[in-house]
Amino acid sequence: MSIPNTQKKSSIDLLDFIQERASIGTWEYNPTSTILNWSTQTKKIHEVPLDYKPNVEMGLAFYKEGYSRDTISTLFTNCIENHDTFDVEIQIITHTGKEKWVRTIGTPIVENHKCILVQGLFQDIDKKAKNSKELAYKELLLRKTFETALVGMAIVDLEGNWIDINKSLCNTFGYSREEIENLSFMDLTHPDDLRKDYKAMMKLISGKIDHYEVEQRYICKKGKTIWAKLSTSLVRDDHGKPVHFVAQINDVSQIVETSKKVNQLLETTEDQNKRLLNFAHIVSHNLRSHYGNLDMLLDIIKMDLPETTDNEIFPLVEQAVSHLGETVANLNEVAAINIQKDLNTEPLNLSKCLNGAISSISAMILESKTTLSVNINPEQYIIGVPAYLDSIILNFLTNAIKYKKPNVPANIEISTTIKNDFVVLQVKDYGQGIDLKKYGEKLFGMYKTFHKHDDSRGLGLFITKNQVEAIGGKIEVESEVQVGTTFYIYLKTHE
Amino acid sequence: MNKIDVACIIDDDPIFIFGAKRMMELSDFCKSFMVFKNGQEALNNLKPIMISGEDVPDIILLDINMPIMDGWEFLDEFVKIASHKLITIYIVSSSIDPVDLNRAKHYKTISNYIIKPISTDTLKEILEIELSK
Repeated sequence: MSIPNTQKKSSIDLLDFIQERASIGTWEYNPTSTILNWSTQTKKIHEVPLDYKPNVEMGLAFYKEGYSRDTISTLFTNCIENHDTFDVEIQIITHTGKEKWVRTIGTPIVENHKCILVQGLFQDIDKKAKNSKELAYKELLLRKTFETALVGMAIVDLEGNWIDINKSLCNTFGYSREEIENLSFMDLTHPDDLRKDYKAMMKLISGKIDHYEVEQRYICKKGKTIWAKLSTSLVRDDHGKPVHFVAQINDVSQIVETSKKVNQLLETTEDQNKRLLNFAHIVSHNLRSHYGNLDMLLDIIKMDLPETTDNEIFPLVEQAVSHLGETVANLNEVAAINIQKDLNTEPLNLSKCLNGAISSISAMILESKTTLSVNINPEQYIIGVPAYLDSIILNFLTNAIKYKKPNVPANIEISTTIKNDFVVLQVKDYGQGIDLKKYGEKLFGMYKTFHKHDDSRGLGLFITKNQVEAIGGKIEVESEVQVGTTFYIYLKTHE
Repeated sequence: MNKIDVACIIDDDPIFIFGAKRMMELSDFCKSFMVFKNGQEALNNLKPIMISGEDVPDIILLDINMPIMDGWEFLDEFVKIASHKLITIYIVSSSIDPVDLNRAKHYKTISNYIIKPISTDTLKEILEIELSK
């Protein structure tokens, strides 16, 4: 036992109680007899049986090899030889192999310049040490996060002075840490935005808001204005008293610039689109009136001066004027499709519309000996405009007949498939085909024709594409020269 | 009676006026013409004529797009004249804009909307309608 024999029984019990509750043990070493005594609590901390009899070597051997053991050996020797008291926090490995933080205190008792006894305390501080180490680690983590964050961060006192700033903040404004420390938050904020900023700070302090986010302007080192997103919150102490602000500043100049550009582009495009439509409108209108006059004058000539029409030229003039009329009409149609914003779409029975279109060109089908096979669900409904759907179907049918292989009657297969929200109307012909590599991009352009055909004007597909798109669909095409063409017309399904 | 007495053309396009007059002559449409180059000129001249009641035109062929006073403005003023119902008005325009076509429907005084070019057939139809009144 480490307790001197002179102690009374009751005080020994109290000491034991204190030792146990505080996880503090005692120890005693007599350099003369080399006897080392450990108290019960000291043994418990070492996790050795209570009948364990330690000696100095065994005692020292419990200290973790390296720093801990070296430290205690030196301090212990110093204590005996130079009479120095020690108090150190180091690690031991317990009897059961656990690593523990302990606090060891040793005091020499000196008589005639000679150490006759070393008395000491031995405390288990493992939990405390681990907690504080963990805290230190967390603090380090936090600091690193703060320092290396890509977002500019600052801790600012209630007067707007920096408490702490990170690297990104310096980078955002182009200043060095030293330079920025000589400036305040207010110096960096664009003067026009300062008032708003100040108001928000006041609201934060008064507790009206608990955080504040704004996109505003800041002045960089070179005087350049940047746009940044500021997010500020207020940190309060346990009594709710404001302590400091935490601010995050994110440079959004590029985003702001880009969105400005996008908006400008959008405006320009909308404007140009409007002007284009207006232009198409005016052109088609003005052309129409000139065409009207020409047509009228030709009529008059025929009645008034019939003798002048009896030549080769007059019929050509008549033809040219009639073509002009058609072109103007087509132009009008295109402008009309594009101008109309709120189309009156309605559910349409695809099969019925198709049959209607087929019967309207039945003479053409008969005359050209065209074979037509149709495989469509009679209950399939799509969303469209009747006149558009009619014109779309007619255009694909007449095209397929027009561009059949010479000397072979046209063969057209019509079917549908469902793709997501679309009914895909397939019009497959075994005709001349189109060289898509050559003409693919121009296929749906205005006035593009690919075949030498008396009747090809090239506006059909252009108008058809416009009409399909106007009712929310699209057109795809597959084609091979001398094999045939398949058009896939995507039309919105009506459930 | 197999001809309209007086036909009035309000149009700023000299070619149309020439053509329309010639067409009318060729199809024996009317006995005489009255031609005005815009709505204002027409209004200025028609007002006294209609008040006096002499040589009032039976029909007016009215263009829409004209300088100074266009067809619509002319109509708005014209309906204020007391005896305007005696005259039948035909819009004759090269505009096929649905907006114009719809607008025309809102005027009771407009009997029809004719899209240019006009032909002798159109004139004959008008003549038949007018003579049957």
